[in-house]
Amino acid sequence: MKLEKLNRDEALRYLGCRGDVTDDKLTALLNICEKNLLEVADARYTYGVYSIDFEDEGIRIANSDILLTGKDIAGHLAGCDRIVLMAATTGQGVDALLRRLQITDMAAAVVTDSLGSVAIEQVCDKAEAEILKEVSATNHTWRYSPGYGDLPLELQRPLISLLQAPKKIGLTVNQGNMMTPTKSVTAIIGLSENEVAPKKRGCATCKLRDKCNFRKTGGHCGN
Amino acid sequence: MEIKELLKEKEFIIFDGAMGTQLQAKGLKTGETPELLNLTEPELLKEIHTAYINAGADIVSANTFGANRYKLEHCGKSVNEIISAGIKNLKDAINKSGKKVYAALDIGPIGQLLEPTGSLSFEEAYDIFKEEIIAGRDAGADVVLFETMTDLYEMKAAILAAKENCELPVICSMTYEPDMRTFAGCPPLAQILLCEGLGADAVGVNCSLGPNELMPIVEEICNNTRLPVIVMPNAGLPDPETGAYHITAEEFAECTVKMAGLGVSIIGGCCGTTPEFIKAVADKLQGVKRVNKTVNRESAVCSGTKTVIIDSPKIIGERINPTGKKLFKQALINDDINYILGQAIEQVHAGAEILDVNVGLPDINEEEMMIKAVKNIQSVTDAPLQLDSTIPAVLSSALRIYNGKPIVNSVNGEEESLNTILPIVKKYGAAVVGLTLDKEGIPKKAEQRFEIAKRIVKRATDIGIPKEDIYIDCLTLTASAEQEAVRQTLKAVRMVKEQLGVKTVLGVSNISFGLPNRELLNHIFLTMALENGLDLPIINPNVPSMTGAVRAFRLLSNIDVNSKEYIAAYSEVQGNSAPVTQKQEITIGYCIENGLKEEAAKLTKQLLQTMDSMEIVNTMLIPALDKAGKEFETGKIFLPQLILAAGVAQSCFDVIKAHISATSQSPVSKGKIVLATVKGDIHDIGKNIVKVLLENYGYTVIDLGKDVDYQAVVDAAVKHEVKLVGLSALMTTTLKSMEETIKLIRANNLPCKIVVGGAVLTPEYAEKIGADFYAKDAKETVDIAKKVIG
Repeated sequence: MKLEKLNRDEALRYLGCRGDVTDDKLTALLNICEKNLLEVADARYTYGVYSIDFEDEGIRIANSDILLTGKDIAGHLAGCDRIVLMAATTGQGVDALLRRLQITDMAAAVVTDSLGSVAIEQVCDKAEAEILKEVSATNHTWRYSPGYGDLPLELQRPLISLLQAPKKIGLTVNQGNMMTPTKSVTAIIGLSENEVAPKKRGCATCKLRDKCNFRKTGGHCGN
Repeated sequence: MEIKELLKEKEFIIFDGAMGTQLQAKGLKTGETPELLNLTEPELLKEIHTAYINAGADIVSANTFGANRYKLEHCGKSVNEIISAGIKNLKDAINKSGKKVYAALDIGPIGQLLEPTGSLSFEEAYDIFKEEIIAGRDAGADVVLFETMTDLYEMKAAILAAKENCELPVICSMTYEPDMRTFAGCPPLAQILLCEGLGADAVGVNCSLGPNELMPIVEEICNNTRLPVIVMPNAGLPDPETGAYHITAEEFAECTVKMAGLGVSIIGGCCGTTPEFIKAVADKLQGVKRVNKTVNRESAVCSGTKTVIIDSPKIIGERINPTGKKLFKQALINDDINYILGQAIEQVHAGAEILDVNVGLPDINEEEMMIKAVKNIQSVTDAPLQLDSTIPAVLSSALRIYNGKPIVNSVNGEEESLNTILPIVKKYGAAVVGLTLDKEGIPKKAEQRFEIAKRIVKRATDIGIPKEDIYIDCLTLTASAEQEAVRQTLKAVRMVKEQLGVKTVLGVSNISFGLPNRELLNHIFLTMALENGLDLPIINPNVPSMTGAVRAFRLLSNIDVNSKEYIAAYSEVQGNSAPVTQKQEITIGYCIENGLKEEAAKLTKQLLQTMDSMEIVNTMLIPALDKAGKEFETGKIFLPQLILAAGVAQSCFDVIKAHISATSQSPVSKGKIVLATVKGDIHDIGKNIVKVLLENYGYTVIDLGKDVDYQAVVDAAVKHEVKLVGLSALMTTTLKSMEETIKLIRANNLPCKIVVGGAVLTPEYAEKIGADFYAKDAKETVDIAKKVIG
């Protein structure tokens, strides 16, 4: 997948910038960082569609040992009968670039890191649109990931393995359930012929609700 | 069994097809561990193996692809149990068939990424493979198949584990994307260089694509390797919706005949292929003759992602070497790896294609430092390295953990050197620099040096180091001391090149030692040497006239066709920083505010002629930084601008540090602070921001990096006697490690304070886990450091 342009306002917001902060030097920095990032990014995604069964202990991905536990995912997938499970990454080149920049130019590293987070979100947006075009469903939920709410991060490993993400897109998890390459996402989209959870994510399901700097200053992270 | 012997008996070796596809067809649950079936469903496995044997496979893979410690972690069975059962099922099927078929121990990637992108160390990866190899060997496997690999570093760990723990033949297959690279960025030539060097018995490609799409990659491999080539394609490309593969067994078999024409001699199938496919391949290849290819390969070295072919002069950067460099020595003593990394990146930007790495210093553990330097340099640049040490154990350790095929610097004509260095060069498949000296010293005459070169080449080729991997150094002597020797060196270079047919290397800068205007002499000598056949000049690439001489030589010798490289190097638009407004008088403060790095460094240099360095720090740098810090706190500027300002200040400090070291004053440091991103956490950008700011304020930061063991933090705090330790964690899951690290520091009764920070941390939580301070950002960490250290 090719990314053409990155949402810079979003990147600046991730960096805690409020209001219009762009000056010449920041614009120059954003220009060069975006260019270099897009050059090394190798965005890929993979997905699968699975039926789900609601059981006492959680939601089972049909014909598998994977149980999605917690009340938040139950709420999220209420009324759904299938899910899209997707995984996306911007590739190892981004990590290599970030390592290099942290030696030569920390300001560029910080900005590139933020642009990288924007990039993987954009990859997911694009991927989701492509997937939903292929998959027929009247309604769908927004993307929900392990680590949101009370959905355990430990699910990363079985989900990634179910999708064969290491082989298909080069995405793996380490022992601490962190994904490598680092700019990567796994997500669950509920599909249904009925009404589903509201389209937008929000602070309500967010684990960082109480510590969030965006919220403290009256803002919102955009998710 | 030997691959080569088998290929004497048969035109082609046929491998089996997919296992996973067969298991799914027989009802394997999604997400289940397929290797567990070796124990629970042995009859099913035997049935699948038998089908492939009957289809005509000569080698069949056991169901052991993912049977490693990491992937089996949660399944309750050991690697040994699962692999033994897997091999046994296969051998039972083979024995029952009565056919002469061989059993392959099939080993796939571990399933998590190795350092530097991932957190699995090379040594751990080696251990994981070793466990699999030993289990397979003891169960009676005939051959080891590594397949579907994407990371050359992981491949190296795997091959070493096989070579050091069994006598079986080793087949090495990687998986490529249509852009002819693996996910990790490895090109086919790098795979070949590494696998051949480490003594693999066959190389090739499997999975990811169908046979048609694989053709260009297969061709590239066949054109470059002297080993038998294996190909195991998928059954075409999968349907994105259903996952079904689209080509027929007949089409598949047709393609493999084409591949045989390119020089492939071992053929099997990957995802989506069935016994029907293998039968079709075996039938189609009946009567087809194998192509016995001859490959003449140029000298080449590589990293995990880049190959450098020495078909024209290539620049080796000489700057990673402490000899005569005070700052470099200081960095080594302080474990300041980032200083070395800065040198590496700077040289590559300047045009170095290979980097010499020498970290020898009497007061440090050279072996440890070499391993650290090589791993870290490879994490920030893809230039291949030349490992440079006088100590064989250092070279051996560096060779082991290097990702790719490096150069060893060096062996010489002395018996002891030949006997110790050449075997390790051979074992790790490196290229080697041979110095034309022996126990009598450096001969005066070119002819005598040539004789030593001849001896080195003979001894190296005798133990199996290919001629193209030997680079001879005819040795540059100082013109001021031995003027008549200059011509002898040049003559020797020519003789070695023309008569021995090996590549040549020279350290150029030594020529001008003790003379004024060294750059001029270096430049002219380099040009003369190139004209006499020098392939690998070791120079300071940061001097534009030196790099320029090599580029110009390539152009004028018609190597740089259409002057492409030359134009690319010199028509580049200068600089990406913000336009400099031509102010009458720019100050340090102005530079810091406006992100003007180079100007600030220049200005500092000027100021140092009339001002004391501490005065510059205290009256200019610190106030400007304080101002930026205040503006950050009040929301006038934000993180990127704050760090830009810090970066400019950093460039001023670098100039001051160099000045202090040159004038032999004692270095300014307010005190040492240990920083680490805790065990399990691989996101260390936050910690690095803190580091930059702390350094700005004059603290010496001992940076332990990311994913740091609890004990390593304690050790560093003890070794450097620090008053403050800073710990960072990004994820909720790694806060536990932060707590454990703090516990261990407390248990050791270290007289230091602990400051913690990170996205998910709160002041309350910091207190709960026993930290002394919570810092909400880098600026606050500086304030805390001031409080604790002063």
